[in-house]
Amino acid sequence: MSELSSTTGNLEVPYTPPPVTPKLPPREWIRANLFSSPFNSTLTVVSGLVILGILRGLLSFLFNPIRQWDATATNLRLLMTQAYPEEQYIRVWVSTAVILILSGLSLAVWRAGSAVPLSKVGRNLVATGATMALLTLLAPFSASATVQWLIASAVVAAGGEGIRRFSAIRSGSVGSAGSVGSGGSSGDDGRTVTTLTLLGVALTGLVVSLWVVPYGHHSFILDRTPRVMAEPGTVAMTTKLPWTVMLVILVAAYFLGRSLRDRLPTNATRATLLVSWLLAPPVLLYLVLRDPSFDMGHVLGTDLPIFGAYAVGGAVLLSWLTRPTTGEVGRIVAALVLIVGFCLFLQPMRMIVRIDMLMLACFALAAPTFAGGQRARRRYVVGWLGVLGVSSWLITAINTPSTVDVPGDFFMGGLSLTLLVAIFTLVVSFPLGILLALARTSTMPIFRLLATWFIEFVRGVPLITILIFFSIMVPLFLPRGMHLSELAAVVVGYSLFSAAYLAENVRGGLQSITRGQHEAAEAVGMTTGQKTVFIVLPQALRAAIPPLVGQCIGVFKETSLLAIIGLFDVLYIARAVMPNQTEFMGSTRENVLFVSLIYWIFAYQMSKASQRIEKRTGLGER
Amino acid sequence: MNDAASNPETSSPAAAAAASGQTRDLSGARDMIVCEDVSKWYGDFQALDKVSATIKEQEVVVVLGPSGSGKSTWIRCINRLEVHQEGRIVVDDVELTNDMRNIEKVRSEVGMVFQQFNLFPHLTIRDNVTLAPIWVRKKPRAEAEEQAMALLERVGIPEQADKYPGQLSGGQQQRVAIARALAMEPRIMLFDEPTSALDPEMIKEVLDVMKTLAHSGMTMMVVTHEMGFAKEVADRLIFMEDGQIVEQNTPDLFFSNPTEERTKLFLSQIL
Repeated sequence: MSELSSTTGNLEVPYTPPPVTPKLPPREWIRANLFSSPFNSTLTVVSGLVILGILRGLLSFLFNPIRQWDATATNLRLLMTQAYPEEQYIRVWVSTAVILILSGLSLAVWRAGSAVPLSKVGRNLVATGATMALLTLLAPFSASATVQWLIASAVVAAGGEGIRRFSAIRSGSVGSAGSVGSGGSSGDDGRTVTTLTLLGVALTGLVVSLWVVPYGHHSFILDRTPRVMAEPGTVAMTTKLPWTVMLVILVAAYFLGRSLRDRLPTNATRATLLVSWLLAPPVLLYLVLRDPSFDMGHVLGTDLPIFGAYAVGGAVLLSWLTRPTTGEVGRIVAALVLIVGFCLFLQPMRMIVRIDMLMLACFALAAPTFAGGQRARRRYVVGWLGVLGVSSWLITAINTPSTVDVPGDFFMGGLSLTLLVAIFTLVVSFPLGILLALARTSTMPIFRLLATWFIEFVRGVPLITILIFFSIMVPLFLPRGMHLSELAAVVVGYSLFSAAYLAENVRGGLQSITRGQHEAAEAVGMTTGQKTVFIVLPQALRAAIPPLVGQCIGVFKETSLLAIIGLFDVLYIARAVMPNQTEFMGSTRENVLFVSLIYWIFAYQMSKASQRIEKRTGLGER
Repeated sequence: MNDAASNPETSSPAAAAAASGQTRDLSGARDMIVCEDVSKWYGDFQALDKVSATIKEQEVVVVLGPSGSGKSTWIRCINRLEVHQEGRIVVDDVELTNDMRNIEKVRSEVGMVFQQFNLFPHLTIRDNVTLAPIWVRKKPRAEAEEQAMALLERVGIPEQADKYPGQLSGGQQQRVAIARALAMEPRIMLFDEPTSALDPEMIKEVLDVMKTLAHSGMTMMVVTHEMGFAKEVADRLIFMEDGQIVEQNTPDLFFSNPTEERTKLFLSQIL
């Protein structure tokens, strides 16, 4: 409403800059904000003392000589992948590389990163140096160690001051941080630097530390008994070289993305990347890491013909259903497909036939909503073929025995397991949660009743109960000949649990959509399906971003309950495995502290990402 | 369905007459909206009480009345945003019943403009206008976008096509809402107090667009408090109170010689 305009066109208003509020010098600021009144002064002094006390306690814990920090440094590989066999490690690196390539391309294509003034970077470094010096003085160090840390602080502060001075000089061409790190581009101005460059410098620093700092190395050899191969004073060659390669790959992918993004159509590129991101976890897990040995006879004799039949039949059916002239008859046919899909469960039959039929029913039911011209129809059929192809391939791979030889039930553990369960759960439970929310708010009483019962039931049961039920009980209930691995059962249970909570968050978003939006969509003749897909859901999901991200963080952290049913997640390894190694008896506290740092890094990134998404999608808000 | 009269660009003899400001003779035109004894209750409160009226093709009808007189309820019944409980409503030979197919058919033939604009805030102006033609009318995207630009040109804001509704002024938003309704190539346009949420200086730009539309031969039903617009554009005024039609007449006679006491009182208060 602020824009001044008229039917004759926008009036040119001369621009008057707003008055500049002068920034207070530090001393004034402190007086105005921290010592403005006797009460405020007391509060400042008391809380300052409390903070100093806490810091001192934390530092004396961290730097106490009896702390066994070797334990975490040496066991990093155990924490990341648990018992994945050494000789197959190339698979882990390939998976990591794929993720990093996708990350690099995405960073470039979505134009991530923002410019930061170089002077601000310098100021922050100076502040970091000062803080380090303060902490050094607080910490219970020996004299020589104190001197060393103070020197380090001074170096950091001096570096910061140097950058600050450098940025103040009006030389327009150089970015000093950019020349240090290989991971990004400095701003054109020379006095700003992108956050991506800073990220690159930080990652480079970490990788360089692998070559310099003596981390230990923990490995499984020969008879699969875990044995610590502490290599004091040396660095595990197996880790530092691959990580260096990984860094190079990430940077290369970023620059490749930069050079490609202007030549390719933006939307198509982004869509391709999103699909790749969705496909990456299952493909990497079941095809790369698990390395199934396909039985070619079975694949050619059974799986391919089934796929072919559904591909051809489904394509014909869907291209008919999406024809705008089909109308009501199409809906009846789609409902019939769904009934047939359910009937298949009454007869003994291959699971894949049933699953494919249900997927086809879903596509058929949604088809009238997406009915349209030649292009829309072709796109819909291609979507069906894509989903069918990927799911058939994955189901075949999952049912094929793995060649990777590992002790225990599942071939992965540690942080990889935590991430895998979290990602799969979120990917499955998001659509499920949205469907539940829609069902609960729908006008159809049966859907509403079922959804409400499901949500209320699941929310009334502890997660542990559900995990135990799905890991122990579900295999007993399955029909003969059907096998579900324990991890899959757990992910299914966890997804149902998380879907119930997500559904309530989405429902909150749905309720925030005004009646006017519904009416406007109805007034232009949209069907309920079209209204939901194009008008209601996009706005509802945006309104529900903060609680949804909160739920995602919760799902990620609560994967630690997997330990209850005997899976080795990262927290379980830290609290039950590592403290029992003969070298690192009783190192629980260090390990748990380290693992909580890992959790925090991921959770914090998710929360930052949510803020960025909110900002980016906030464009359409008033 | 797409005869000349429904195409706003084509002018017809009647439209030419309207453009010259004369009272038109529409007695030979066909009935576009027929309401017979339409009644509606909210709980115990009767919002519409046996409303009967017929609106001819190309006719511009302005509905007046004090707040709570049932004008908005009536206009919203015509595209089934509200459900009438008694009586019949027939729009372009399709009767409104509980049959979803009839309702969708009527809705895609009837454009509606709301008091609160109700643009889709998450879509650009261009997408707001093209969404329904692409998905409801099944138009190819390129054609829909071309049409959208032509419509935005017509309502005077082609340069805003890539902005979001939140970045536009109220008057501009309401003009986009009109373009969005026109993109469905409706045969009837309903306006539910289109200028009531606008600042005085923005009312004119919206009314100008509506006048052009009326002169192009669109069948229009307008709920408004803008007497100037009613005098200048309407073929007929309908005055409502307490859910009933009190009086209806041509603008000249309505303002100069109202027959009912209640109408006189209303006019004395607003003029």
